[in-house]
Amino acid sequence: MKVLSKHDFNDFIDALISDETYHTHGVKSKGEKFVFGPLESHQDLRLDYDTTILPPKKYLLPQYETLIECPLSSPFEIKTEHHEKPIIIIGVHPYDIIAINQMDAYYFNEDISKSYLERRKNTIIIGSDIINTHDKAFFGSMNTAHVDTGYDLFITDLGDKVTIEIGSDRGQHLIQKAARVREATDVETQKVKALRLAAQGKAKRGMKIEPNQWYSLLDQNYESNVWKQQSEKCLACNTCTLVCPTCFCYDVNDEIDLKGNSKRVRTWDGCMLRQFTEVAGGEVFREDIKERYRHRFFRKGKYLPDRLGFTACVGCGRCSIQCIPDIADPVKVMNLVFDASESFVEDLETKPKSIPVETIEVNEEDAKPLHHPMSATITNIKKLTEREKLYEIELDSGDALHHMPGQFVEVSIMGAGEAPISIASPPKKKRFDLVIRNVGEVTNKIHAMKKGDTIGIRGPFGNGFNEEELKGHDLLFIAAGLGLPPLRSLIAHVLDEEYRKDYGKITILCGCRQPCEVLFDNEINNWKNGEDVNILRTVDKCPDGECWEGDTGLITKLIPKAKFNPKQTMCMIIGPPVVYPFCIQILLDLGVPENHILVSLERRMKCGVGKCGHCQINNLYVCKDGPVFNYHDIKDLPEAFA
Amino acid sequence: MTKKQSKPKIAFFDFASCEGCQLQIANLEETIIEVADVVEVVEFREVMTEQAERYDIAFIEGSISRPIDEKRLRNIRKKTKILVALGACAHLGGVQRLGNQWSIKENLKEVYPTAKPADIKNNEFFEKPRHKAVDEVVPVDYVIPGCPIDRTEFIRVVVALLHGNKPPIPDYPVCVECKKKENVCLFTIGKFCMGPIARAGCGAICPSHGNECEACRGYISHPHKDAQIDVLEKYGLSAKEIMDRKTMYTYRYVEKEKQEEEA
Repeated sequence: MKVLSKHDFNDFIDALISDETYHTHGVKSKGEKFVFGPLESHQDLRLDYDTTILPPKKYLLPQYETLIECPLSSPFEIKTEHHEKPIIIIGVHPYDIIAINQMDAYYFNEDISKSYLERRKNTIIIGSDIINTHDKAFFGSMNTAHVDTGYDLFITDLGDKVTIEIGSDRGQHLIQKAARVREATDVETQKVKALRLAAQGKAKRGMKIEPNQWYSLLDQNYESNVWKQQSEKCLACNTCTLVCPTCFCYDVNDEIDLKGNSKRVRTWDGCMLRQFTEVAGGEVFREDIKERYRHRFFRKGKYLPDRLGFTACVGCGRCSIQCIPDIADPVKVMNLVFDASESFVEDLETKPKSIPVETIEVNEEDAKPLHHPMSATITNIKKLTEREKLYEIELDSGDALHHMPGQFVEVSIMGAGEAPISIASPPKKKRFDLVIRNVGEVTNKIHAMKKGDTIGIRGPFGNGFNEEELKGHDLLFIAAGLGLPPLRSLIAHVLDEEYRKDYGKITILCGCRQPCEVLFDNEINNWKNGEDVNILRTVDKCPDGECWEGDTGLITKLIPKAKFNPKQTMCMIIGPPVVYPFCIQILLDLGVPENHILVSLERRMKCGVGKCGHCQINNLYVCKDGPVFNYHDIKDLPEAFA
Repeated sequence: MTKKQSKPKIAFFDFASCEGCQLQIANLEETIIEVADVVEVVEFREVMTEQAERYDIAFIEGSISRPIDEKRLRNIRKKTKILVALGACAHLGGVQRLGNQWSIKENLKEVYPTAKPADIKNNEFFEKPRHKAVDEVVPVDYVIPGCPIDRTEFIRVVVALLHGNKPPIPDYPVCVECKKKENVCLFTIGKFCMGPIARAGCGAICPSHGNECEACRGYISHPHKDAQIDVLEKYGLSAKEIMDRKTMYTYRYVEKEKQEEEA
C-alpha cells in the first residue's frame, strides 16, 4: 500500500486530467446528487460521494453505440469504429467494480463482443473506498464493500492523505505520474482496514437471508403473492433496470439520415418495458407487469446464477433510491418474500457464489463483432400464399450455412433492422431456404425484393434438432401454420435417400387455418410417395368455394388418427403458442414419454448470441438454448407455454 | 422522370393551434435545405403562399374544433396518401381541449364577454366549438407528438416515410430518457412529474431543465395509471389537484374515461 499527501494526490489527479492521451472522468456533484463525468480539476472529484445516479456501466456499455454505419446503397461497406483514447474512471466504489466484473463475465461468456472487449481494455479503473453511505445502500449485506480484483489503482481518502493500492501494470504505470509516493505505515494500513469495516457495517439493512440464499428463496417462491402485491404499485417505468449496474440488456435499432446513410445502433433496454418481449406479430410474452417485475428479481437472484454462477446484485441501492413508488428495493422485497414463504429450505447444492472471484482474461482473437451480417444473395423467390414467400439464399462468400435443422438466422435489411427466421431447408446444401411471412418492417422490405438482391444474414443460431437423438426412432411431425417451414428442414433431411435408413416410420401431421394458407402442397404430396411415410392433413375450416381433400378441424384431431407407437416415436411439434399445450397433452395421454417430445418456441430473438436478453424463457435463452427444446427439460418452466 | 419530379409532395395545414409546431419546422435552418433535397413542399402557409391539388404526405397541425374545420380536414384527407398529425393539438386536442369541460355557452361568455349575440348566432366561425384530435375526425396514419414537436423527430419521421418505414415514435416512458440523462428525479426534490406514464421521444427536455413533465406527448400505449395516481398522492397531491395540474395535455383521456364510465 502506497501513500500520498492530499496535496500530492491532488497534483496527481490534475496530472492525469492534463494528460492528453487519456480522457479522465470521475465522480462529481450534480445538484445534491453525484454522477460520473469528465473532470476538469481535482476540485471536481468528490470521493466523499455516497452513490452516483448511473453506475459506471455507462462507460463499458454506452447508452448509444453505433454497431454498423454504412450508406443504404451499399449496406456491406461497414465503416470500422473509431477508436477512442483510453479513459480513466476515478472513484469507482467496490460494489461497482464487482458489477463490472460481473458484466465481464456476461459479455465474455461464449460469444465475446469485440466492441465490449475493446472498451474494457481501454478503460482504466481507479477504485475508491466508501466514505459516505446512502441509507438505502446494502452492500454490507451483499458482502460487496470490498474488492480485491478488477481495478488498476485503488484509493482510500484518509483526509490529509490518500492511500493507493496497485492492481495492475497499467496502474503501476499511472502512479509514476505522482510525486513523493511512499509506503504506508502499519498505522495507516490499520486505518484503511477500519474504514472498510465501518463501511461494511453501515450498509447492512437487515436482510433476513444471505445473498447466496436468494437463489433458493426465489426458486421456492415463484408464485409468491408478493410479486402481485408489489407490482400493483409499479409504474413499469424501467428506472430500476437503467440505474442498475448489473442490468446489461440492450436493444438494436436502425436509423437513417436525410442523406441516405444508415446506422445500426445498440441502446439500453430493460425488461420492465412492455415492448421488451414483443415480437413482430404483436405478441407480448410478459404482458402483465407482475411478470416483468418478478423477472427482474429472478434474473438477478436465479437466472444469472444458473448461467454464470453468481448473484447479480451488488447492493448499491440505486434501484431503491430512484424507484418513486418504492417497490424496487431488493432488501425489502427479499424480506417480504421470505416472510410470506411458509417453509424456506435452503438448497445447498445449487448455492451460487454471491460475487465472481477473479477477473477474466480473454483472448482477443476470440472476440467478434457480434452484429455484423454476412452478405447473401436471393437466388430464387417463390410465392407460397398471400402472406408467405419462399426465398432461396446463397452466402456471397460461397460457403454453405452449415446449419442444423431447427436453427434460425437473423435476416438483416439495413435501414429496417433484423428479423429472426427459421431455416426451412435441409442441411448439407450450399443454398438455404427461408419462408418469410410479411408481418413487420423487415419482412415487408424483403417481400419487396427481387431475385438477385442482396440481404444480410447472421447465424445460424441456436439449438436445432439433434439427429443422433432421433436416429433409430419412428418420427412424428406435428406442423401447424408457420411451423411447417422449420420442420421441412428436418423432414426433407430424414426423407433424403442417404439418411432414410437411419429412421423408422415417419408420420407427418400438417394443419393450417384454411386451404389458401397451405404451404408446400406439392412437396407434401411428394413426401407421401416415400416408403413408410404417412401424412394426415387438416384445415381449421374450409370456406365455401375452396377445395380441400383432407380433414377439417384443429390439428389436435389428427393425432389420435395417426397410427404410431408411442414408446418408439420421437414427436416434433412446431406451431403457434396455442397448439403446444393441447398437442403435448394428447401425446402424453397416448403414452409418449416426456423426453420424446421436441418443440420449437418463438420469442423475441434479437441478438442471437444470448446477450440482449429479449428472448428469455425464465432462465433459458431461446436464441442459445433453443429454439428447439426437449419438452422434458422445459415442462416446469412457467414461462415456456404460458 | 427527373429527380425533381419524383420527389414526394408534402404539405402543411394548420387548424386550432399556435402554429408553434410549424415554426419548429420553419426553424430547421440549414437542415431544411437537406429536407428540400428529398421532398417537395407544396403547401406551407407559414412560409409560402402556393397551393396544390394532391399530396403524398399531409401534416396537420392543430385541434379540430368546428364543423367548417371538419369539412376542410376531410377534404385534405381525400387529397393525401399519408396523413400525419403534427403536435399535441392534432394528436390529443391540445391545451384548448380543457375548454370541453364547460358548455359552449359558458366558453363564449368567458372568451367573448362583450360580443353581441347577433354576431355569434349563425356565424360558422363560432359554431359548436368542441376540440377534437385529428384522428377523431379522419383516419390518421402517423402521429408526431409533442408541444411543440421535436425537430429531429420530425426529420426522422420524414426519412422513415420516404423509405417506407414506420416512423420510430418511442412507446416507453419519459423516465427512460430522463434516467439516461442522469437527471435528479423531480419527485425527490418536491416536484410532481408525469414522466412515468408520459410518452418519451422529447429527450426528457422539461425535467432536464427542472420543469415537471406535463405529458404533452400523451401517455404510453399501456400506462399504469393507477400506480401513477398512487405516486402523485403519495407525494402529496390530492385527487382534485391531480386533475387540475396533470391534465393540461391529456384531457382527451379524461373525456374517454368519462365516456367509458357512461357507457
